[in-house]
Amino acid sequence: MAEITLKVNGEVKSLDVDPTTPLLWVLRDHLGMTGTKFGCGIAQCGACTVHLNGDAVRSCSVAAKDVSGAEVVTIEALAENGGAPLQKLWVEMNVAQCGYCQAGMLMAASAMLKHSPKPTDDDIDALVSNICRCGTYPRVRAAIHKAVGMMASKGTAV
Amino acid sequence: MKRMGLRRRDFLATSVVGGGLAFTIAPASAERAPLAQGPWAVDGDGGVEMHAWISIAPDDTVTIRVPNPEVGNGVATQVAMNVCEELQCDWSKVKLEFASVRRDYLENGIYTVGRQPMFSGHGTDPERMPMALQLGAAAREKLQRAAALRWKVWQDEVDAKDGVLIHRPTGRTLRFGEVAAEAANLLVYNEPNLKSQAEWTFLGKASPPKLTAPAIANGTAVYGIDVKLPKMVHAALKQCPVHGGKLKSHDPKAVLGMPGVRAVVVVDPAKTRGTPKAFTNPIGQAIMLTTAQSGVAVIADHYWQAKQALDALPVEWDLGPGGKFPTEKAVYAQGVAALDKGQGQVVRARGDIGALKGGKVIEATYATPWCENAAMEPLNGTAMVTADKVEMWLPAQDQHQAQWVAVDETGLPPDKVEHHQTLVGGAFGRRTMADDVRMVVAVAKEYPGVPVKVIWSREETMAQGRFRTPIVSRFRATLDDKGALVGWKAHTVQGGYIYGLQSFEDIPYVVSGGIPNAEISNTILPYHVLTGAYRGPVYNSHSFMVESLIDECAHAAKVDPVEYRVKLLGKWDPAWIECLRVAAAKADWGKPLPKGEGRGIAIANWPNAGIRKNGTTVCCVVHAAVSPKGDLSVKRVDVTFDCGRVANRDAAAAQLEGAVIFGLNAAINEEITLQDGAVVETNFDRYPMIRIGDAPPVINIHFDALSGDDRFQPVGECAVGPVQAALANAIFQATGKRLRQTPFRKAKLGWA
Repeated sequence: MAEITLKVNGEVKSLDVDPTTPLLWVLRDHLGMTGTKFGCGIAQCGACTVHLNGDAVRSCSVAAKDVSGAEVVTIEALAENGGAPLQKLWVEMNVAQCGYCQAGMLMAASAMLKHSPKPTDDDIDALVSNICRCGTYPRVRAAIHKAVGMMASKGTAV
Repeated sequence: MKRMGLRRRDFLATSVVGGGLAFTIAPASAERAPLAQGPWAVDGDGGVEMHAWISIAPDDTVTIRVPNPEVGNGVATQVAMNVCEELQCDWSKVKLEFASVRRDYLENGIYTVGRQPMFSGHGTDPERMPMALQLGAAAREKLQRAAALRWKVWQDEVDAKDGVLIHRPTGRTLRFGEVAAEAANLLVYNEPNLKSQAEWTFLGKASPPKLTAPAIANGTAVYGIDVKLPKMVHAALKQCPVHGGKLKSHDPKAVLGMPGVRAVVVVDPAKTRGTPKAFTNPIGQAIMLTTAQSGVAVIADHYWQAKQALDALPVEWDLGPGGKFPTEKAVYAQGVAALDKGQGQVVRARGDIGALKGGKVIEATYATPWCENAAMEPLNGTAMVTADKVEMWLPAQDQHQAQWVAVDETGLPPDKVEHHQTLVGGAFGRRTMADDVRMVVAVAKEYPGVPVKVIWSREETMAQGRFRTPIVSRFRATLDDKGALVGWKAHTVQGGYIYGLQSFEDIPYVVSGGIPNAEISNTILPYHVLTGAYRGPVYNSHSFMVESLIDECAHAAKVDPVEYRVKLLGKWDPAWIECLRVAAAKADWGKPLPKGEGRGIAIANWPNAGIRKNGTTVCCVVHAAVSPKGDLSVKRVDVTFDCGRVANRDAAAAQLEGAVIFGLNAAINEEITLQDGAVVETNFDRYPMIRIGDAPPVINIHFDALSGDDRFQPVGECAVGPVQAALANAIFQATGKRLRQTPFRKAKLGWA
């Protein structure tokens, strides 16, 4: 066991955990933040995507010991971290079906838009590579494009 | 719409509260309320009850308790919409809860209506939809009467709209929440008449997003895996990697000292206690139960600790007969051998297939493999078992089934089983076997007194799939001199035991007499691999095969595949021809394409192809491109369909889009293979899935072929089958290569 300190959604958290525990399970089991989902455990599906120091990462494959001192943003705080317009479009455009993968989709999409506010379809293909078994991809893409259009017309970040 | 035939429950409006038992309105018990929050119904919340399905709070929140779990198809939102149409409440104030199956039991089936009453589908079921409308109307009637009494006016002067009661002559208003308490205690003497469908203002008109959408987008949605309870412990589970095998030995001492580990427990199918009661829902419909599998679980404070210890646990399995099964190739070899023997059980015969002489004969063998449902939420569930009670929090696909599995596993009576329905992170049929529920209860009963959350790793989820059954079919089609199909002989060999060959024998080409001579037969081969439902069970294979072969016949006859089908369906439900015609027109059928590209078409119906004006007929046109090297891409899919009428257009479109992608994934990517009887593909690194960059950039869902027939059939499954054949037919157009086996990624498609 080891003492790990990290900042999650703006709050400093200190935990006594097995240092090999994946960030995913630190969030879900130790901090009780279940918005970040377990899908595959091998960084394939992206359901567990969070922002780590501003970048989208698959939290199932990041060990607790490697995030000490880091800043983590999860779906629970996406709205306060610029994601509210994207989340609103997700609802309006009825993107989710079962919804289980959508927290990861939103975290991946919002990180992409922070780094490239005008993504091409190729960017989307590369950076929002999460698996959705329900097949919501057409709506995910449409919602991202709409968000980009809104950002362009308002000059705001998503 | 006429007043519903009140089959079981007389006078919804006139009963004071729901189901005969007086239901106390009391705050939720303090013991579990603070932590165990989720989408399940909590006794007494939501204000006053107008009926077990509907409560109204002073702030106008209308809580609608829906019997049907939400797996992503929008069923729960649909049922709430049905209630709202007649209740005339404000949709923005509707709160969704999943009804309690225990209450259903105690109150004599208060939520049990229609086909598969507490299953995750059929939101527009022909019995359930009128029931929901009638409940909404009855509650509205009470509210109108309460307002009339308050104002001392005639009730027929009181209108209800968007959650507000209006006295027409004076313009006075009251909100639903202001009179709900009085309304709940009123008797209404006549069951209100329902609006005609033409008078609907919400159903068929509005397309609201799912009620679950906001919680999904902000991360507060509670799936099974998200349940949090006081004193809860976590379990990691492993069952024998070869289905049917047994735990031979294990060494708990090796892991009991690891951090957080509390216990190692064994699931032994012999410990299923059983019950003398029949497994039926309150209206006597049988409920399917499957047995426990031999397994072992580690219980720890946290899941990661349990998983680490499980991986470290020395375990030996007796693999059983399945362990001697070499690879999946044996299935195909055995299937072909059975076909060569040629003695299936005839399930449909027409005309005299044996008397056919001459003509052009097309013989072809098609095959589809085991596939895994691969829902994104791994199998899981939470249960607390004590000497006299089971409490469960599950992402169940069928609440009645979950209840009875717990009864069977623990031996406790049904009223001692309490289930709280969570959201479900995908199902596609996987959670209809309820083996997940069984294992959760079996583990929890070995560690009684506290809630145990059992999580299958992705590897365990996939190794323990209840897979789509493998099918090998041989067809012999006979064409006359003009190319018309005059003979259809089909023999199908199917592995597995759960799903029969439903709808394989009912293709309209044969049923209608379009093909005058036919013989359809099947053979079941038992395999150790467990099978189950996979979105559009069996149909998803069968429509790929049939619609590919029809395409082969069209090409052999040198007739356009659309025209060939139109002619064959001349004696059938004209809605099929309309679907074909509209799809072809919308998809630019016949417009020239560059080399290496092609269009393919296919049509089918789920779940009742062989009955006119029934089920949902769906036609897909796929535009595919194959690079000279053989890389396949799907550029566009056009879909027409006829489910009769549509209650929520956008919801229907979403289901059809999803089904297209699901079907394409089955056709292109999916196959479970075996090594020494165990599953090889246990995670997404070996089980490829379509991602956003692989999905067709254009999927057009066309509403123009809807017949308007008075039925609201489900649309979630129908497209999964024909889109596969449409893709195969498009590949044939593009390359001249006929694919008769999925997954297509294993085929060499290069043409340079």
